[in-house]
Amino acid sequence: MDPEAREACEVMGRYCDGEAAAFQRLYVLLAPRVLAFLVGLLKDHAAAEDVLQLAFMKLHDARANYVRDANPIPWIYTIAHRTCLDELRRRKRSRVRLTGDGEMDRVPAAHFTGVAEDERQSEGDDEGGATEALAALQKLPDNQRQALILTKLHGRSVAEAAVITGSTPGAIKLRAHRAYVTLRKMLQKNAAGPAVQKRVA
Amino acid sequence: MNDNNLKDDVWRGRAAFPPAPPASPALIEAVGKMKPVRTRARLTGFLAVFVVAILWPAFTLLTHPMRRDLAALPLAWVLIGAILWAGSFGLPLAVAMIPSRHQVLPSVGRASLLGLLGMVMLFLFAAFWTAHVPGVSLRPEDLGQTFLESCLACGGYVLQIAAILLLAGFMLIRRVLPVGGRPLGAALGAAGGALAGLALHFHCPVASTAHVLLSHVGAMALACAAGAIIFSALLDR
Repeated sequence: MDPEAREACEVMGRYCDGEAAAFQRLYVLLAPRVLAFLVGLLKDHAAAEDVLQLAFMKLHDARANYVRDANPIPWIYTIAHRTCLDELRRRKRSRVRLTGDGEMDRVPAAHFTGVAEDERQSEGDDEGGATEALAALQKLPDNQRQALILTKLHGRSVAEAAVITGSTPGAIKLRAHRAYVTLRKMLQKNAAGPAVQKRVA
Repeated sequence: MNDNNLKDDVWRGRAAFPPAPPASPALIEAVGKMKPVRTRARLTGFLAVFVVAILWPAFTLLTHPMRRDLAALPLAWVLIGAILWAGSFGLPLAVAMIPSRHQVLPSVGRASLLGLLGMVMLFLFAAFWTAHVPGVSLRPEDLGQTFLESCLACGGYVLQIAAILLLAGFMLIRRVLPVGGRPLGAALGAAGGALAGLALHFHCPVASTAHVLLSHVGAMALACAAGAIIFSALLDR
C-alpha cells in the first residue's frame, strides 16, 4: 500500500472506532479527489458537491462494512460512483425544472478537474495541448471516460477501477484503450481543421 | 496530437484536485452522534454462504443412495469430475465473497469470469467424456422416466440449490456491494449450479451425455443467467 492508502486505512480504522476527528481527517484527505471524480462524471460542479455529501453520508452509514486494514479509497470511490449513477438516473426521470420566473439561472459548466470552465479559460495555461486533450475527454462515452478518469487522472490501478465500476480488469483496459483511440482521432481532427482551412484560404 | 499529450504525468499534472466544500451540517451531526462499530471480517460472509449452501446437497448425499455404477466407473473420471464441479463451486464463490488483500470489496467481475470458465470446462467435460458402464449405468427408461422427466428432476434440483445460494449471498452482500450486481449474481448462480452438479455427480443414476449436458450443465447455465438478471434488478437499480 502507498503512504496515502496507509494513512486512509489508519484513519478509517479510527473513524470506525468512533473518533470524530478521524472522520474530519478522512474528509480532508479524500473529499477533493472524490469531488473531482464526481465532477468528471456529472459535468456539473454544484450537483457533484451535493453527491459528494450524499456519498460521505452513505459511507458513514456503511462504515460497519469496512474491513480492517483494507485500503478504503477504492471503496469510497465505489460508493461515490454508485451515488452518482443514482443521481444521473434521478435527473433522467425529472427532465422538467421549475423556476419562479420561468427563467433558468445560468449554471457555469464545470471542467472535470472541478474548476468552472470560465475560470479555467481565464487562467489560460495550456500545457502543450493537454487542455485540448482534457476537453476532448468530456466528449467520450461515459464508460470510456470513467475508465480513463479513474486510471489516468486519479491513479487507480486497473483492478481497483474494475472494482469501483463493478466491471472486470479486462473491460477497464479495453475501455481505456478505446478511449485513447477515440481521443486520438478527435484531436487529430481538431489539429487538421485549421491547417485545412489555411490551405483552402 | 501525439502520444506525449497523453502521458501519465501530463494527465496527473492537470488533475490538481479542487478544494472540497466543508461537510454538510447533517453529516457533521451524524458524525457527532456516532458510536464505535464492529467492522466486517474478511471471511465471515463467505463461510456463512458456504455453510448454508452445502447443507442440502450434503443431506442429499447422506440420505439418498449413491449412483449404482459409482464403483464401476473409472476412478480418474470420478475424481476429475468431482474436482471440476467442486472448483466451479468454490472458486467463484470465494472470489465473489472474499475481498482481495487490502481491499474492502470483492472482485465480482473476476468471480463471474471464473464462474463462466468453470461452466465451459464442465460443458467440455460432459460433452466429450461422459463415462457409461454398459449394464450397470442406468438410462431414464430403466427408472421408468422419460428423458424429459429425468432432465426436469435433475434441473429442478440444480435450480433449487442455486436459489438457496443466491438468497444467502444476496442477504449477506446487499449492504456491502454498491455496484456489480450482475456479475455477482452470475458468479453465485454458477457456483450454486456447480454445487448441485457436484452432488449429482455422485448421486444421479442417469449417465447419458445428453442428460448431463442438458440438466446438469444446462441448469447451471440457467442458474447463472437467472442470478445475473435477478441481482442486476435488485442491486443495480
